[in-house]
Amino acid sequence: MSEPAQDALAAGVRDLIGEAVGSDPGRLALSPIPGGASRETFLAEAGDRRWVVRRDPLGAPDSFAPLAVEFRVAGAASAAGVPVPKPLAFEPAGGRLGSAGFLMEHVDGTSVAPRVLRRDELAAARGVLPAQLGAALARIHSIDAGVIEGVPTSAEDPALAACALWEAALDEIGKPLPAVEAGLRWLRLHPPPRPGREGLVHGDFRLGNLIVAPTGLAAVIDWELCHSGDPAEDLGWVCLRSWRFGNDDRPVAGVGSLAELLDAYEEAGGDRPSQERIRWWEAMGNVKWAVICARQAHDHLIGVRPSAELASLGRRICEPEWDLLQLVPLGGS
Amino acid sequence: MQDPPTAAELLDAMAADLYSEVREWVPRERRFRVLVLANLCAVIARELRAGEEPSRSDLALFTALSGSPADDVRKAAATLAAAIRRGDLDSRLPETIAGLREHVARKLDIARPGYAE
Repeated sequence: MSEPAQDALAAGVRDLIGEAVGSDPGRLALSPIPGGASRETFLAEAGDRRWVVRRDPLGAPDSFAPLAVEFRVAGAASAAGVPVPKPLAFEPAGGRLGSAGFLMEHVDGTSVAPRVLRRDELAAARGVLPAQLGAALARIHSIDAGVIEGVPTSAEDPALAACALWEAALDEIGKPLPAVEAGLRWLRLHPPPRPGREGLVHGDFRLGNLIVAPTGLAAVIDWELCHSGDPAEDLGWVCLRSWRFGNDDRPVAGVGSLAELLDAYEEAGGDRPSQERIRWWEAMGNVKWAVICARQAHDHLIGVRPSAELASLGRRICEPEWDLLQLVPLGGS
Repeated sequence: MQDPPTAAELLDAMAADLYSEVREWVPRERRFRVLVLANLCAVIARELRAGEEPSRSDLALFTALSGSPADDVRKAAATLAAAIRRGDLDSRLPETIAGLREHVARKLDIARPGYAE
């Protein structure tokens, strides 16, 4: 971002903070927080006070769940007892943030997964994370997505809706991925029974979208892929091998066992799904991650977002493909 | 004909440079990008050394699984993907999955050696 653009954004953020907290914070230092692939995040600092601003890239096409929805969902999650950075103010496109965006409190910690898994000062956090993740997911899933305006919902069976969603995404990219097709076909032919209860699904629940402090889980962030669905979708996704960063003996985000996660999930009020249902969604999660890798590489190729990092994801499709075809056929050979 | 080093050897040298020295010059919070580039150099070096053999094996596999002859691996992949989607191979889905594990393992040998072990 150019200096004048950054100055203009800083002025807009200052104004927004003044309105949200009731007093002018003074001159702000604004710095981009790297990491988000499709949204921009900035740290705003005034002395020792800090806030975070999240907005759409200027001129970006409509996203899956618009930031207005993310803002409302973060509020609902906070009310349900999920640790989140408290959302403070929403600003529509064309307002003080340029594009649509919102202001939230700053939460200390890291969302860089390898750091969470390796740093000495986070050893105690790793010990409590599996139970904290289970409890947070139970609270997220207790939220009725239907009462939050704009959260994507579908009358269809969530498992079949996921099959259709990723088939359509593959068609849109237009590059054949026979291994993904074979796994997806098996999943389509063997969906789990429709869940007894649907709820709010985070849609991208993994260490990269959590803030972890030395005491453990500090906040759940990045609700861009939230939707109404089968709660087991999040439980399967957090078990993907890609999110373990080599800690394959700890299937839940590289920090714990599925039993630890589910015990805490149940204790916090969640309905414990069958192992098979979670495995189905873990396999579907690998379909989703493979398609997302293909789409990011495609975005580079068609010039939407030229980046060697996105391009390199084209050579990572085979990782979730491998995991997918190890999981299916579920139950053997 | 180019003089030595070969393209793969040049990429090895680039990867080594990026992994070691260049990484140190870059601010800590941006080093991930350097690692991505270094890793890409290593991947392309392996891809060049493997030559056409993996694609030839995939062509044979895809045409055998779909039962439709083709002389181009991308066309064969598209034909197989479409046949799977239509359900034409549903009665042979476990065998199709088993065959495609070999295809994915060949990609991993280049992109991420050791992942399939």
